[in-house]
Amino acid sequence: MTLFRLCIAITCILATCAVLLGALWAQFGAGEFPCPLCIIQRMAMMLAALGPAWLLCRAARGPVDAHDFAQCYACSILAALVGGTVSGRQVLLHIAPGDPGYGAPMFGMHLYTWAFVVFIVVVAVSGVQMLFLPKRSEVHRVGIGARSSVLLLGVIIAVNAVAVFVESGFHWYLPDNPTSNRLIDELRGKSGGEGGVESPEAMNGAMKP
Amino acid sequence: MDALIFLLILATLIAMWRGKRRLAGALFAVSLVAVWMLFKHHATDTLPINL
Repeated sequence: MTLFRLCIAITCILATCAVLLGALWAQFGAGEFPCPLCIIQRMAMMLAALGPAWLLCRAARGPVDAHDFAQCYACSILAALVGGTVSGRQVLLHIAPGDPGYGAPMFGMHLYTWAFVVFIVVVAVSGVQMLFLPKRSEVHRVGIGARSSVLLLGVIIAVNAVAVFVESGFHWYLPDNPTSNRLIDELRGKSGGEGGVESPEAMNGAMKP
Repeated sequence: MDALIFLLILATLIAMWRGKRRLAGALFAVSLVAVWMLFKHHATDTLPINL
């Protein structure tokens, strides 16, 4: 059971990392600039993955008990609730008939719809984990796999920090409909470097979340 | 702003890695609130349209 709980935590982190890597591929491979809501969903997904990551970090330092499990998975549920709210709002933004949605669909659904599914799964998995809390402290042997998964999550967070800085440049907020990397535009000295479409025509019907 | 929140999340992970429970919990809470405030900013942003 001890090893099983550890494997579930590692799987949660790796699954989240896979989704985040898919989002990075859509950004750099397919050339789709993420909108502000997409970025917020990435943040919520990372925070949701921090729950099992925290559990692994605690297990690496000593025995973990039911309180540790509950605290870590509660963090995941809270983050998933925030993320589900954001992705749900983005789904509702494009729910009108005829709306093409934001970006290209992947496996039949848009990325924000997949994100909504991911957040629901996070809540469900965390709930099931909390149903079967250990009755006493357990000693887990945290190996290289667990450490690597936490390290991978850290690298993905750092890459996202750099990517969003390049996209937003020296501005506080991203434009609603980003169309270029503002930092590169500014360094090249392009004038009117809003890096996004904010005109009424562009906002009307093509609002990219 | 977005990059700063990502760095905050990274700092949370580092605090967890180093075993700083209170700091990690506090950073997690601050990160979550910051994400919610950023969402609130974008969700309540005035659309530049004339009806």
